[in-house]
Amino acid sequence: MKHYLKNLILGPISLIQGLIVTFKNLVSRAITLQYPTQKQPMTPAFRGLVDLRPDKCIMCYQCVKICPTGCLAIRHEESPEKKKSLVTFEYNMELCCFCGLCEQVCPTIAVYMNKIYEIAVYSRKELHINLLSTDKYAQWANPTVK
Amino acid sequence: MLTMMITGAVVLGFISFSSMFLIWWERKVSAHIQTRFGPMRVGWHGVLQPIADAVKLLLKEDIVPCSVDKRVWWLAPFFVVVPSVMAFVSIPFGKNLIAKDLNVGILYIIAVTSVGILGIFMAGWGSNNKYSLLGGMRSAAQIISYEIPLILSIVTVVMFSGSLSMQKIVEAQAKCWFIFKPCLAVAFLVYIISATAEVNRTPFDIPEAESELVAGFHTEYSGMKFAMFFIAEYTNMFIISAIATTLFLGGWRGPLLPPVLWFLIKTYGIIFVLMWVRWTFPRVRVDQLMGLAWKVLTPIAFVNLALAGWLLLK
Repeated sequence: MKHYLKNLILGPISLIQGLIVTFKNLVSRAITLQYPTQKQPMTPAFRGLVDLRPDKCIMCYQCVKICPTGCLAIRHEESPEKKKSLVTFEYNMELCCFCGLCEQVCPTIAVYMNKIYEIAVYSRKELHINLLSTDKYAQWANPTVK
Repeated sequence: MLTMMITGAVVLGFISFSSMFLIWWERKVSAHIQTRFGPMRVGWHGVLQPIADAVKLLLKEDIVPCSVDKRVWWLAPFFVVVPSVMAFVSIPFGKNLIAKDLNVGILYIIAVTSVGILGIFMAGWGSNNKYSLLGGMRSAAQIISYEIPLILSIVTVVMFSGSLSMQKIVEAQAKCWFIFKPCLAVAFLVYIISATAEVNRTPFDIPEAESELVAGFHTEYSGMKFAMFFIAEYTNMFIISAIATTLFLGGWRGPLLPPVLWFLIKTYGIIFVLMWVRWTFPRVRVDQLMGLAWKVLTPIAFVNLALAGWLLLK
């Protein structure tokens, strides 16, 4: 009987406490975002796609050497005045494991990892990116339904 | 005949509109309780989402599982929906806005809404599926158990108002709503808990129990037949809230605003509480459910009834 009465009194109190918690949630702001119109900003340490600042590249090939999957391919040429210039800087996203070693090893911060995370494509060919191109990530920066 | 047809069409229209609104509202309330947005895409804040859902359900193929008891299985949704629609006959939306003010109004509503359990049991039995059958059986046990405290709490109201007619019960609350009288406040609590169990809503939704019974009695239903169960669920919720409004909250009475608006505000207020409760509490076990009905609500309802009698005779 004592247990019965105790439950009869304490039960409703705990129920009311629960209702207060959910009511506070009801009137508080939603924590989810309306994706894709609203997007969560990525954290500073987030590793997206490998990106390049071509003017800063000194063609040291450190990134190519350190890449564990061999997803970067560089070719350069030298002018008679011994001036180097980049010819190709290919990035094979299909092989990339997003480890960030290329970014760490680059002495001039020419190679870095951007914040793009919506990286679905319609064909494997689109995963081979020329990092010297000016519109290299245009399709992901402004995604459109094909 | 024409008046009857128009009344019927208005009632059906109201039921469909109200059910669709309640489905949207429930999704929104549940979402905000979980700090989400809920439907946002179809129309302003997803208001047209129930229409999109209804169109989808209408266009779906009517699948009849091969081993069901076809006649029983086919009739079950109608046995669930029709009693809910019938209950609208004696619900007073306003002073003159009532299809028929029966002198046994509340008794009639209790009688017809109790038929709904037959439909749920038919669905469970006719589906030829162990989960559905368990759901149907649980529902029958639950509704029979909770009918007792529910009716005892209504009897308390009838004792105070001296009539079974819904309009006379509203008239009896001209000076003071019944919820503000001590015995009737307890009766209101007993009523609202029992009514939640009657319409199989969380935390008493063991007949459906998605996680254990795979939706229970309506596991095998799809398309329009499933929609009928859904409409019946929300219509029943409206009915129990409308009865609570009429019996305890003064019905359509209220200052300034038109009576029908007062009635709807009070009814939807109670529905909101039911939604709030649903998204707060977890489902109870079968033994807890039965324990609550027989060991807590029924004794309280009996003591309350005796107290009410003593107060009236004093």
